[in-house]
Amino acid sequence: MSRHGRKGGGAKKGGNRRNENNITYACPLPILLEPTGYKSTKALLGLFGYSSNRIVHPHVEGIFDHASHSVWVKKSDQAMLLWKRGFFGKGNLSRSEPSWLNRQIHQREMQRKGGMTAEEITAKRRELRNQFKLDRARAIAQAAEEAEAAFAERGIIVTETSVVIPSGATWKPSSTPKDRAVEESSEPSLNVTEPIEAEPEEEEEEIKDVEHLQLTLQEAFFLIWTMDCLTVLDSLTNEPLSLQQIWNQFQNSHLPATTFDRTLLQASIPNRFDNPFLINYYVYHHYRSLGWVVKGGIKFCVDYLLYKRGPVFQHAEFAIVVCPVYEDPKDRDSSPFALQNVDPFTWSWLSTINRVNTQVLKTLILCYVTIPALERVQMPSLESPSCLTYYQVRDVIVRRFIPARMRD
Amino acid sequence: MENHVSFPALASLAKTYPQAASSLFATYNDLLYAQRWEDLTVIDLPERKRGALRGCRPNSKDTLFVLPCSMSETVSTSWLSNALKALDEPGGIYLAISTEDSSIVYYRISRGFAKPPL
Repeated sequence: MSRHGRKGGGAKKGGNRRNENNITYACPLPILLEPTGYKSTKALLGLFGYSSNRIVHPHVEGIFDHASHSVWVKKSDQAMLLWKRGFFGKGNLSRSEPSWLNRQIHQREMQRKGGMTAEEITAKRRELRNQFKLDRARAIAQAAEEAEAAFAERGIIVTETSVVIPSGATWKPSSTPKDRAVEESSEPSLNVTEPIEAEPEEEEEEIKDVEHLQLTLQEAFFLIWTMDCLTVLDSLTNEPLSLQQIWNQFQNSHLPATTFDRTLLQASIPNRFDNPFLINYYVYHHYRSLGWVVKGGIKFCVDYLLYKRGPVFQHAEFAIVVCPVYEDPKDRDSSPFALQNVDPFTWSWLSTINRVNTQVLKTLILCYVTIPALERVQMPSLESPSCLTYYQVRDVIVRRFIPARMRD
Repeated sequence: MENHVSFPALASLAKTYPQAASSLFATYNDLLYAQRWEDLTVIDLPERKRGALRGCRPNSKDTLFVLPCSMSETVSTSWLSNALKALDEPGGIYLAISTEDSSIVYYRISRGFAKPPL
């Protein structure tokens, strides 16, 4: 929800929303720093460069779902904690934070009061937009007809016509009976002082919350390893997994499975550097440690989006495409994983991605990750995250250059 | 996934096609709970080694077909035309691409050229 470009009456509302957001999303990471000790101790420690703050780690529980390569946080208060402090995860039935239950409850209330829910308001807006498009198409067809007729009669090409082609800014909807009916039905929701009729309420079932917060394996491992605030449970036994088990199983979940039951696969020892989990985790950790909020980028044809503070503040500035590069070409032939973007892009595909992102004002970054050769690096290093030191990353910004326009 | 309330409807197809289980689960839940589709049923599509979904949008009678797939798969035009042939749907189908962070994007796939309605 962007408030960019809204001036006048919207500015005050925008200011309040911004202040609310600054308070709600004040913590950039799940951990909190609690000051302890006396003022004098703090001052003394401060002289030597030590902080007397105590780090408070929240405890969040998640369940590892190997089929979907994700960790699910089911408790809503824990899910909101992870979202508010760093924008980790995404509600699986929502656009950002888990809001499905709230939307259902709100929808029920709105239906009872006869007002419009957010979805209905969106539907109305889409209907208006369709009407605008119809009007515009009709106007364009009429203008073309006139031009054809003028050419046929007088043999001249007419560039100006008498027909006005509506634009998005100037078009006004013509009021149809349907519109008026919808407007009337939405009035009760605006008129707050109108007393609600006391109708005998039916016994409504309580809505069961079927949503969870979904964390990618990269987000989950970041929270476990660097923040120490997530416990991952096995989905079948509900027992917490150790760090070693998590490290192994996160990698093994990417192995091709021939059966739904993955207990055998989960027990194997990881032995490949080109595991998608390792490559993606390296990129995720790289940008998170530089302070960016990293989210998925499927809506813009890319792998990741980088936000300066978070999705609620500003649109993402950068779009990342991960391009794995094999140090040893033989490793690629023996790979059980179908890694994407290993081959160089075709020019048409690169242009497509660049155009899509330029239109939404994002800068495209190609992130080349070098996968270490199996021959060079010993296998035991894969037993722990220390193998990540063998990877390298190079960022390349891609911008379309238009000589005529980019003189400055 | 197995403990989720919507899993029993998908259990047999999830076990038959384990690689496609997560995209089927994610798409089924999105259509059923978030998009509120009606008459949602699961179809077995052995030609594409996965399950597909059939249902109606809320307040509409047209039956639509949705084919789930995941971001890590490679989808070619022949893959899509096989799927279109198998589902035998003249109006086209929706391809639902699911990701690890639970985002789903839907693309409308038709046979041949299809001009936008407006």
